[in-house]
Amino acid sequence: MSKTNAFVKIKKYFPFYLMALPGIIYFFINSYIPMGGLILAFEKYTVKGGIFRSPKVGLSNFKFLFSSADAWLMTRNTIAYNLVFIVLGTVVAIVVAYLLHELKGNLPRKIYQTIILFPSLLSIIIVSYLVNAVLAGDTGFINNYILIPLGIDPISFYSEPKFWPFILIFVHLWQMTGTSCILYLANMSAIDSGLYEAASLDGASRWHAFINITIPCLVPTIITLTILAVGKIFNSDFGLFYQVPMNSGALIDVTQTIDTYVYRGLMNTANLGMSAAACFYQSVVGFILVMITNHLVKKLSKENAMF
Amino acid sequence: MRKKILSLILSTAMAVSVLTACGSSSTGTVEENAPSDNSDESSEAPKEIEKIKVFVPTGGKADDIEEVMAAVNEITIPEIGVEVEFKAYEFGQWFQQYSLFLSGTEDVDILANYGGYLNAVSQGAAYDMTDLIQEYGQDIIAREGDYLKSGEIDGHQYAIPIYAGYSWTMGMIYRKDIVDELGLTEAAEKATKLEDWEPILAAVKKAYPDMTPYVLNNGTTASNFKYGTWDDLGNFYGVLMDPIKDKEVKDVFETDEYAHLCEVMHDWYQKGYCDKDIQTQTDSFTVLTKNDAAFCTLGQADFNTAFYQSTTCNKPMGVTLFDDQIARTYNNVCYTIMSNTEHPEAAMKFMNLWMSNEKVGTLISYGIEGKHYVLDENGMGKYPDGVDATSTTYHLGSNLSNINRILWETENPEYPELLVEHNTNDKKSIALGFSFDTTNVTNEITQLDNVCSKYQAGLETGTLDPEQYLPEFVQALKDAGLEKVIAEKQAQLDAFLAE
Repeated sequence: MSKTNAFVKIKKYFPFYLMALPGIIYFFINSYIPMGGLILAFEKYTVKGGIFRSPKVGLSNFKFLFSSADAWLMTRNTIAYNLVFIVLGTVVAIVVAYLLHELKGNLPRKIYQTIILFPSLLSIIIVSYLVNAVLAGDTGFINNYILIPLGIDPISFYSEPKFWPFILIFVHLWQMTGTSCILYLANMSAIDSGLYEAASLDGASRWHAFINITIPCLVPTIITLTILAVGKIFNSDFGLFYQVPMNSGALIDVTQTIDTYVYRGLMNTANLGMSAAACFYQSVVGFILVMITNHLVKKLSKENAMF
Repeated sequence: MRKKILSLILSTAMAVSVLTACGSSSTGTVEENAPSDNSDESSEAPKEIEKIKVFVPTGGKADDIEEVMAAVNEITIPEIGVEVEFKAYEFGQWFQQYSLFLSGTEDVDILANYGGYLNAVSQGAAYDMTDLIQEYGQDIIAREGDYLKSGEIDGHQYAIPIYAGYSWTMGMIYRKDIVDELGLTEAAEKATKLEDWEPILAAVKKAYPDMTPYVLNNGTTASNFKYGTWDDLGNFYGVLMDPIKDKEVKDVFETDEYAHLCEVMHDWYQKGYCDKDIQTQTDSFTVLTKNDAAFCTLGQADFNTAFYQSTTCNKPMGVTLFDDQIARTYNNVCYTIMSNTEHPEAAMKFMNLWMSNEKVGTLISYGIEGKHYVLDENGMGKYPDGVDATSTTYHLGSNLSNINRILWETENPEYPELLVEHNTNDKKSIALGFSFDTTNVTNEITQLDNVCSKYQAGLETGTLDPEQYLPEFVQALKDAGLEKVIAEKQAQLDAFLAE
C-alpha cells in the first residue's frame, strides 16, 4: 500500500525531481564526495600515502587552532561579526526590500534595484581598492576632501583599529544587501494583496500593515535564512577580513578571524592536514549550531522549523 | 585573482580528495610498479623513448611552447632518449596551484619550486635523487659544485637549485640620476649604514616633493629587512648574525641591530620619507620607480643588482651594499623530481642536459632563433623587429635556467664570469647548504607567522613606535614558542656542522 503510494507520489512530482536533479548532482559532487577528504584532518599528508594511507596523527592537526594566544581573539571576532551581520543584514535587507516594493513605477524600481545589486557583482579586490580610495592616508577621499579642508588632522585609517568594525560592517552590508533583499522582495510580491486592502478598509496605517501583515508573512523566509547563516557562523568572508583591510598588521585585533588565521599561518607551509582540520572544525561546529537553532525554532513554533 | 588564494587552501583538501578518490587505484599501481619497471626498461631497452612532463612558473610568454619543445626534443631524443613536455603557468596562477602539484595528483615529473622546496620534502613529494645525480647528473655537479648543497637535506639530494647569485647582502637600491643631480653621488656610495641615508632622503624629499623617498621593495609581500646581512637559515625564527663565524642561532628580533633598524625606519616615517600607508603598499619598487614615484628601497643586492635594476626599472640605478657579499643557502628556483614519477632516470638525464647544454638552455629560455629572438652584433639576444616583451609568443626568460644560454641584450655582458667569480671567491656562510626541517615545530611556526603578520610590517616600516611595540612583539613571539623553534634549529644546525 505505502509502496504504491510512494510510487504514485514520485510519478506525480516527477517533473520536480527532474528539476532538482542538477542541484542534487552538484551537491553530490561538490559536497558529498569531498567529505572523504575529511580524513586528511587526522593525517600527516604524504604524496606516497595519498589521502587514505598517509600516517595517522590523531588530533594533533587541531592543536594549532586552540594552543594559540589568538584562539580567543579569532573566535570572538568571527562569531561577533557574524552575529552582527545576521541581525543587521536581515533588518537592512527587509527595509530595503520593503522600500523597493512600495515604489510605484516599474522603471524606478528596476533602476534602484540594479544600483543596490551592483556592489555584490564586484570582486572583493576591487571593493578593497574602492575602500582604499576613500580611506587612504595621503590620497584618500575622506582625508583630502573632508578632514583637511575642515582643518582636522588627517586620520591614518589603516593603523587605527577602532574604526574598522564599523567600516567592515558597512562594507559587508553595502555589498550583500542587494542579493539578500531579492529574496524578501520576491516574498513580498507573493503576499495576497487582498490582505492589504482589507487592512486599509479597517483603517490600518502603512506601518501597521507592515508590522502585522508583511513581517508575519516573511517569518518563514527569515527563519530559514537565519538557520542557514547560523551554520556558517564559524566561517568568515576571507576577502572582507583580509583584502579590504589590505592585510594591515595594525588592524589584526579587529580583523583576525578563523579563516585569516589559518591563511596567515599555513600560507608558507601549505600543510594540508592542518587546513583540513580547520575546515573540519568549522563544519562540525556549524552543523551542531544548525541543529540547535532548528531545535529551538521547533520548540517555539513547529511549522517554521526547517526539518 | 588573489581572492582565490583562500579558496586554494580551503579547497585543496576538497579537490585533492575528489581527484584521489577517483584515481586512488591508479596511484597505487604507479607506486608498486614504478621502481621495478624502470630499472628493467633502462637495462633491457635503452632505445625506448621516455616521456616526461615539466611544470614551471613564468613571468614571460609561453604561447608557442609546443613548437619550442618540438625543437628541444630534436636534441633530447637522439641524445638521451627522452621526450619532454613543458607546461608554463603565470606566476599568480602558479602560486595558487603549487600546493596542488605538490599533493601528487597531477601528472608531472619535474616540478619547479620557487622560494624553497622544503614543503615538497615534508610532504614526501620530492624524489631522493642522491644516487641518480651521481649516475646521470655529472654535468650539473661540475657546474654547481658546493652550491648543490642548497638542495640537500641530511646528505640526501632532493632538489637541484639553478646556479644563480648565491652571494649577496642587504643594500640600498636608488635612482642614480637623482643623486648625481643633487651632487650626492659620493655621499650615496659611502652610505653603508641605514642611518647614513637620512640626509640624502631629506634632500630628495625637498627637491622632489612628488616622489616618495623610501618605499618597500616588493609591497608587503616580503618584509622590509627580509634580505639582511644575517643568515636567516630558511626563515626569520633564529638566525646567524655573523654567518662567517657565528655558530649560535639567535632571535634576530631581540638583537640591537634589529632594534636600531626599526628606530631608523620610525624616524623616517615620522619625518615623512615614507608614504603614510607604507604598511599597505601593494606596488613593487620597480613599478613605482618606472613612474618616477619612488627614490630608493632596501633589498637583496650583489654585483649585478645595479645593472639588473637599471634595465627592469628603465632608469639609471645605483646600489650601495651594506656589508660584504656572503654566499648562503638561497632557494631561488630549484627543481625536484616528483616522488611518484615513473621516469626518474629520464628526468635526471633531461635536467643534466638542460642545466649544461647551451642549445637546450637557450631554446627553453628564449625560444627559436629567428622567430622568437635574433642575435645582435655582439652575439646577444633580442626580440626580432616589431616584436617586444608584450607581443612575443615565446619568452620564458632567463631566471629558470642556468647560465648555459646566450645572454639577452639587457644583461650585463660579463654576468656569467662575474657570477662564477663571486660564487667561487666570496666568503661563505658556515650554514651554506643547511635547510631547516620544520616538521617538529609546525604548530609554533603557524603561531609565529600570525604574530609576525601583526607586528613585523608595522615595525619594519616604522609605522609602529619600536620603543613601545618591539618589546611587545618580542614577548608575543616568545609566547608563541619562538624559543622552542630556535632550540630545534640550533640542534639541526649543530648536527649539520658536525658532519
